[in-house]
Amino acid sequence: MSLSFGFAAEHANALTVYTAGPGSLGKKLAQGFEKKTGIKVDLFQATTGKVMARLEAEADNPHADVLISASWDTARDLDKRGWLLNYESPNAAHVPAMLKTPAYVAQGVSALCIVWNMRSGLPEPRDWSDLAQPAYRNQVTMPDPALSGATLDLLLGLQARLGKQADALFENLHRNGMVVLGPNAQALNPVLQGAKSAVFGAVDYVAYGAVVSGESIKVIFPSGGTVVAPRPMMILKTSRAQNEARAFVDYVLSPQGQKIVADAWLIPARDDVGSDRPLLKDLKLLPQEGAATPVQHEQTLQRFSKLFGQR
Amino acid sequence: MKNSNAGAPAVCARPAISAPLLMLLATLGLLVALPIGFVALQAVFPAINTGSFARPFSSFGTALGDERTLPLLFNTLRFGLVVAIASVLVGVPLGALRGLFRVPLARLWDLLFLAPFLIPPYLAALGWMLFLQPHGYLEGMVGFHLGRFLFSFNGVVAAMTLNVFPVVYFSVSRALAAVGLRLTDVARIFGAGPWRSVLRITLPLVLPAIAASALLTFIMAIEEFGIPAALGQRAGVELLVTSIEQRFSDWPIDLSGASVLSLLLALLALAAFFLQHRLLASRNFETHSGKPVAATPRELGPWRWPVLLAFAAIAAAATIAPLFAIAATAFTRTLSGGLNAGNLTLGHFSALWNEGEGAGALATSLGLATLTALITGTLGLLSAWAIVKTRMRGRALLDALTLMPHALPGVVVGVGLILTWNQSFWPVTPYNTWGILLLAYSCLLLPYPVRYASAALRQIGDNLEAAARVHGASMHQVMRRIILPLTAPALVSSMLIVFAIASRELVNSLLLAPSGVQTVSIYIWQQFEQGSIGDGMAMGVVTVLVSGGMLGAGAYWSRRFSAAP
Repeated sequence: MSLSFGFAAEHANALTVYTAGPGSLGKKLAQGFEKKTGIKVDLFQATTGKVMARLEAEADNPHADVLISASWDTARDLDKRGWLLNYESPNAAHVPAMLKTPAYVAQGVSALCIVWNMRSGLPEPRDWSDLAQPAYRNQVTMPDPALSGATLDLLLGLQARLGKQADALFENLHRNGMVVLGPNAQALNPVLQGAKSAVFGAVDYVAYGAVVSGESIKVIFPSGGTVVAPRPMMILKTSRAQNEARAFVDYVLSPQGQKIVADAWLIPARDDVGSDRPLLKDLKLLPQEGAATPVQHEQTLQRFSKLFGQR
Repeated sequence: MKNSNAGAPAVCARPAISAPLLMLLATLGLLVALPIGFVALQAVFPAINTGSFARPFSSFGTALGDERTLPLLFNTLRFGLVVAIASVLVGVPLGALRGLFRVPLARLWDLLFLAPFLIPPYLAALGWMLFLQPHGYLEGMVGFHLGRFLFSFNGVVAAMTLNVFPVVYFSVSRALAAVGLRLTDVARIFGAGPWRSVLRITLPLVLPAIAASALLTFIMAIEEFGIPAALGQRAGVELLVTSIEQRFSDWPIDLSGASVLSLLLALLALAAFFLQHRLLASRNFETHSGKPVAATPRELGPWRWPVLLAFAAIAAAATIAPLFAIAATAFTRTLSGGLNAGNLTLGHFSALWNEGEGAGALATSLGLATLTALITGTLGLLSAWAIVKTRMRGRALLDALTLMPHALPGVVVGVGLILTWNQSFWPVTPYNTWGILLLAYSCLLLPYPVRYASAALRQIGDNLEAAARVHGASMHQVMRRIILPLTAPALVSSMLIVFAIASRELVNSLLLAPSGVQTVSIYIWQQFEQGSIGDGMAMGVVTVLVSGGMLGAGAYWSRRFSAAP
């Protein structure tokens, strides 16, 4: 616990990192970075929705130096608003072009999948639409796209790729009793215990983590293709510790940092770091269309929440 | 509030605002009035956070005109009312039995019904979920589940009721134990039937207690965040409190909408609070014999078994089931593996220490809770003394400030603190440090020490102080040698309650915790949302043990203290 009472000076050297995703990954990266550089890291870890809300609430009086979101789209939005500092890390040389821009670069990549409880006794789903079948009546959960950045990317991806068909798919899912439940683990928990049988659009690293700890679930990438959600990492222009922030980005993209990312079951951003899970080249992807504008983005969310009756 | 012996000459202070009182008022103003003021300001002036007073009251129109606001208000009202009614239906019969009859294992039931102080509500809600949902622990044991019930309006009401009904239970059983059956006996001697005597005599005597505690459950129900947040979404139940948190912490945020809803919720709670306060003030137990004497409880006779069964059933549902589910999840390796010997592990507990995250959260929470207890204990004793034992002007204001947080929903305090301290004009701000959590907890929990200390102070005759002063003791000496020792047991028990609640407070922690600071409640909540629920429940077990241990030690200590010669 730091004893400083809001005196920025005392924090001159410390780095504030806001990150979506699993707390343990953020913590391990921070610890590794602290050990290597001696720079203290203050970590705020929450869902993408909460991280973005905090950033917005603090717009007048910003605190974050580095931001790691789970939605590529949020980075694009912030970049457009002119909030981001351009930085190309030397370590980004090994990151494929599709995973970097001048202002932000992927920390790692997750893919959206179906998680299926193998003890459910239901037929193994192969594609998204299988979960709209009668066999899966009242058996499906989905993370809330307003909270989970990756789920939002899936929603936008399906919308861009399938258009009207995506609307029909979600209407069928709704009619089939799919429930939308908070962020990722909250959608996964009932499937683990068997209260529900499958998650529509889970992020794969959470599910792989559960598989490794012995849960009897299967991670399925839909035959029709899926969407990957690169997790953008960016430095804010308002950062008062820009050198430290750059060093942090370098660290996350170093082989050492990428190993930690891979250990959290994310696909490493660097193509020269391996992993025990399927990598980008192993996945069948829906073509990722160009940028969704913030307006489309909000409209999509609103349509979705209207359909699933919340907010 | 009336002084205990208004006729006696003023003992301590001249009727003027003294410097210490001024300091106390200023501290409480900072702690209580400022955040509330900023909620009101933000609601009135939507652009105040950018330093502008433009378009006053416009967000009222927007928020109140919003098609979602009225249903939210209505839902919240309905939820609070149904929970209050359900709490009366459960709490009054059990409380009456406990107060009037010799119930077997009475102490055990009291202990089990104290659970809300032991199990944080969100933890209990997660426990019920793991227990009742399809393929949950209940289904594993008896072959059926209650998932459909749990994830419905009635289910959320039931969960909340099981959490708050003890308020009614304890209030009724204590009131009845004090009234006893003597007057009823008299009525029966004069020929009234058993029902008639209960209806005409006993019931009117405890009616204020029932009504006041029911109102309290209403307030608790509309304020509590964890239960609707854990169960509500799946049940399609949206309440003001969850909606405020959402507007404030989910992107895109809606500051003024959240403030208007906060104001609505605060008004609802305040209205109920004043009603409750008036009921308690008008409550009068003076029956003709003067002091109530300890009545001997009656034997239940053949009714023992059904009564025992009723107590056991409620205790099982309210306390044992969630505790069991929490412990079971903490000790099983995988959720899908279910409950069996091969699936047992201590891994979730070691995970708390391994990555340092859980241990850090625990240390932070315990540290914050200790500080909160010390701060509220000190402020509480000083305020209570100023209110009860002095004639100083400004007492009424002090009284109002110390009681106010009791009526304020936690989420409103959190919103107020953000609005207050995230302004750029402060030279120094606790925002984004752990200090803001300390402010929030201290504001919310201040009423406990104030209430306990003033109750204790009222029982101390003024002549004790007067005698000390006559014999030349200084104010300071009087405080240290007379007031403090005599109020200590009550003060310490209230500080332990503060500690227990502060160490697991959820909604303010979620809203206010700065980067780098994690509390027990945030840890558990995040494990539930984003991580391993097993790790979260392991932390839950540790929390319950810690606060249980503290409360137990406190009860033991204060009993010893008051028993001492």
